[in-house]
Amino acid sequence: MELQPVYIQVLALAIFAIGLLTAISRRNLFFVLMGVELALNAVNLSFIGFAKTLPAEQSVAGQIVPLFSIAVAAAEACVGFAMVIMLFRKKESVDSDNYSNMKG
Amino acid sequence: MTNLPLWLIPLFPLVATLLLGTIAVVSSGSKKGPAEGIVGGLAVIFPAMSFAVVAILAFGMPEAGIRETLCNWIDIPLFRADIGFLFDGLSRIMLLFVTGIGTLIAMYSIGYMHGDRGFARFFAYINLFLFSMIVLVLSDSLLLTFLGWEGVGLCSYLLIGFWNKDLANCKAANKAFIVNRVGDIGFLLGMLCLVTVGGSGILNYDALVAFVGMIVNGGHVDLVLPVLSLTCILFFIGCTGKSAQIPLLTWLPDAMAGPTPVSALIHAATMVTSGVYLVARLSSLFVICPDVLNVVLVVGALTAFWAAFAGLFQNDIKKVLAYSTISQLGYMFMAAGVSAFDASIFHVFTHAFFKASLFLGAGAVIHALGGEQDMRKMGGLIKKTPVTACVMIFAFFAIIGFPGFAGFWSKDLILEHIYTDCNWVFTGTWLADGAVPMNKIFYVVGLFTAVVTAVYMGRLIIMTFFGSYRGSKESEAHIHEAPAVMLIPMIVLTFGSVFGGYLWADSIGITFFRDSLASVLGAAEAFDPAVRLSPEIFLDEFVPRTGAHVNPVIFAALGTAAALLGMFIAWKGWGKARIPEIPKGASSAPEGYAAGWTFLWDYVHGFFVKCVFVAAWICDMVVDKILQAVQWTVGAIVTILGDGATVFQVRKVRLQVAFSILGVAALVLVVLLTGGIV
Amino acid sequence: MLALIYFIILAVIALGAAVCVFLSRHPLYGALSLVTSMVALAGIYGLVGSPFLGVIQIMVYAGAIMMLVTFVIMVLNGARDSKTPMFDKVSLFVLPAVLLLAGVVGFAFVRAPLAFDATALRGSVSLTSETLFNMAQGGPGYFLLFEVLGLLLLSAMVAAVLLAKKRLGTVESENTEESH
Repeated sequence: MELQPVYIQVLALAIFAIGLLTAISRRNLFFVLMGVELALNAVNLSFIGFAKTLPAEQSVAGQIVPLFSIAVAAAEACVGFAMVIMLFRKKESVDSDNYSNMKG
Repeated sequence: MTNLPLWLIPLFPLVATLLLGTIAVVSSGSKKGPAEGIVGGLAVIFPAMSFAVVAILAFGMPEAGIRETLCNWIDIPLFRADIGFLFDGLSRIMLLFVTGIGTLIAMYSIGYMHGDRGFARFFAYINLFLFSMIVLVLSDSLLLTFLGWEGVGLCSYLLIGFWNKDLANCKAANKAFIVNRVGDIGFLLGMLCLVTVGGSGILNYDALVAFVGMIVNGGHVDLVLPVLSLTCILFFIGCTGKSAQIPLLTWLPDAMAGPTPVSALIHAATMVTSGVYLVARLSSLFVICPDVLNVVLVVGALTAFWAAFAGLFQNDIKKVLAYSTISQLGYMFMAAGVSAFDASIFHVFTHAFFKASLFLGAGAVIHALGGEQDMRKMGGLIKKTPVTACVMIFAFFAIIGFPGFAGFWSKDLILEHIYTDCNWVFTGTWLADGAVPMNKIFYVVGLFTAVVTAVYMGRLIIMTFFGSYRGSKESEAHIHEAPAVMLIPMIVLTFGSVFGGYLWADSIGITFFRDSLASVLGAAEAFDPAVRLSPEIFLDEFVPRTGAHVNPVIFAALGTAAALLGMFIAWKGWGKARIPEIPKGASSAPEGYAAGWTFLWDYVHGFFVKCVFVAAWICDMVVDKILQAVQWTVGAIVTILGDGATVFQVRKVRLQVAFSILGVAALVLVVLLTGGIV
Repeated sequence: MLALIYFIILAVIALGAAVCVFLSRHPLYGALSLVTSMVALAGIYGLVGSPFLGVIQIMVYAGAIMMLVTFVIMVLNGARDSKTPMFDKVSLFVLPAVLLLAGVVGFAFVRAPLAFDATALRGSVSLTSETLFNMAQGGPGYFLLFEVLGLLLLSAMVAAVLLAKKRLGTVESENTEESH
């Protein structure tokens, strides 16, 4: 029994699914954002897992890209929480369904 | 000097059009309008330069003509057309009088249009017309000719409706434009027929002659004759539209609503002859279809006869000249109908001079009387305006074919050709002696028309210039001779109408005109079945074109007699007659039986328009309504379905995302199943 | 064998923490669970041979971002709402959808022939930095992306400041009124 790349991918998939689930089914805005972060993390894990299956030089790319995605996630969190603050000020609520302006 | 490029000829009027158009647009806001001196100068100098180029080229032209391809126009896989020019004997004659008379009439217009608000606009149109006409006659392919053909139609429309404040003028312009479109469809379909027979290259005139030569020499005429006959008929429909022949002639009398110089230039001297030009240009095609030539002959004879009588009933001086133009065009087509294309072009040439001077004279009369066009209110003007009267009387002698004047030579030639060259014999079992040679009948019709011509022209001259003045006293005081800028072109044209005929005076042995056209029309002569085939082989409907030789002096004598008889009748009829006092505000339009004759073809047109209305009504009621019903049904079904589909609409954003995830899952499943991974 | 044992331990921690995020009622608990999950993931990064990324993960995610999250939660104390239910009817629909997707993709993973490559390079600091700042003509050109990323973060910061500012509209409208 050795560590297999599939294990890493399955773990990433599981975390991604939980993140997605959190982002969509929870109504609290904080949980929505945290779910997104979780999903992004899972993607990074998947990147690294796949990078290790590639030969010498090619394996580096898979370890560089997560750097960028971490940075983008940071930017996203920054703006996202700023929006949460703004929205909260407006309606005194973090229930995402309260912000739906769609007719019907 | 003969290496001048051909494109210079159309270039000058085009430049003038652009310049004058710019001036007209720029000055449209100002109250006074542009300076007439500058505008008039520009408008005359450019056509004059064009005329100079034509003249220089004309004298140094090689026998075979000059061919020049300017650039490529259309280049697609199945079709290729170049903008090319062809300067040969035929286009030389046409260009000489188009640019020459165009220049003279532009000069005349400076005086006639003096003080008009649209001065610059008028000359821009005139130059645009000259450009289009030059393109029409100078092009080396039917396609480019069609461009010029449409261009002159457009200019005709613009100039008839020049005084567009008046609704009647606009209606006349619309009528001219629409009736011409009917003819243009014939032209277009004719080109299509030609292309189906011989490919796109055949639209070039040289290629067309070569093609006809090939089928004639190869003996394939019978094979393609139906298609070629159809082609010729279609082209002839185009010609009837532009040259105002039966049945498409109603627009020309109405076109007199435009300024008189326009009537002189476009509706008498140049544009209306483009149909004759086209027939002459396609002579090698027409000549191998004898049935079509017979149609042309009949149409020409009927038109000449009918229009001459219609001219007899008119009170408006310009209307008389309009019907006279139609009648003379009928003569030209009669000549074309008996394969005497050179004679028809010769009549185009002489007619351009005398009809232009008649119209300019009429314009000067109208100008002198301050816009009065009703001949019943004129009379005795020979004392007040002697120069104009002399011009018109000389032109009168020319048009009735008085010996020595231009019309004498050309009309006489046409009548002679009708008698000697018409080889159509009418056969039928119901005829007593089995066959009637049509040449005598058409000769009599032509001669009789010549008598009527002399009558109505004599009536015009007598009512206008002789007797006593019948207008009001105060208007009599204002009558004045036209200014010099108008008189000079009239006098020049009068010289043309007096001496123009001596270019081809058959009786005294001068055939210069025919020789200059021989290189172009010679091909047609070679293809003529009546000349080519021996009488035994040929069908029984035709007789060979030898006939009994008749002394040309007899024709000349008969023509002269016709002219003198017509003048005599006119003198008897109107010389002493008292013209009844007409009530104030009465229209100059003919009444009673005269109106019935004059507007005969308008009634025919009206009938066809009604037929079209009925067809349109049927289309509206049946096709349109059914289509709408189908449309509404489909629309209703879609609306109901759409209303039903809204039930499935998801109203929560999170649920929508969930659905999209399901969609992604389905996509992944599809990829898995089809990608071979599973 | 040892790597597998470590991996299982870390995976169980990460997965459990993720489930805690999903199920926790208060955002603060969720945030703490998230930090736990991220730290465990950083451990896995190190385990499979990318220590630099693991460090970055702890510094940026578990450090900076979670700091931000907790800070915002603290600021908005009213964020704790016990009135709204955690799950509703929509969640009942979302759950099978996501599970279906995960199942399908997982099936594909399991069937895919994946194996570690022995020559795969270890993502050490030196190697990462060399690759990242390789400005050679034919190099990967990551440095350009890196610069762009700097701009992105700057703009995100500016946007966040502008969004979170109090009564932003009034300030702007005053300015526009003055300019008129």
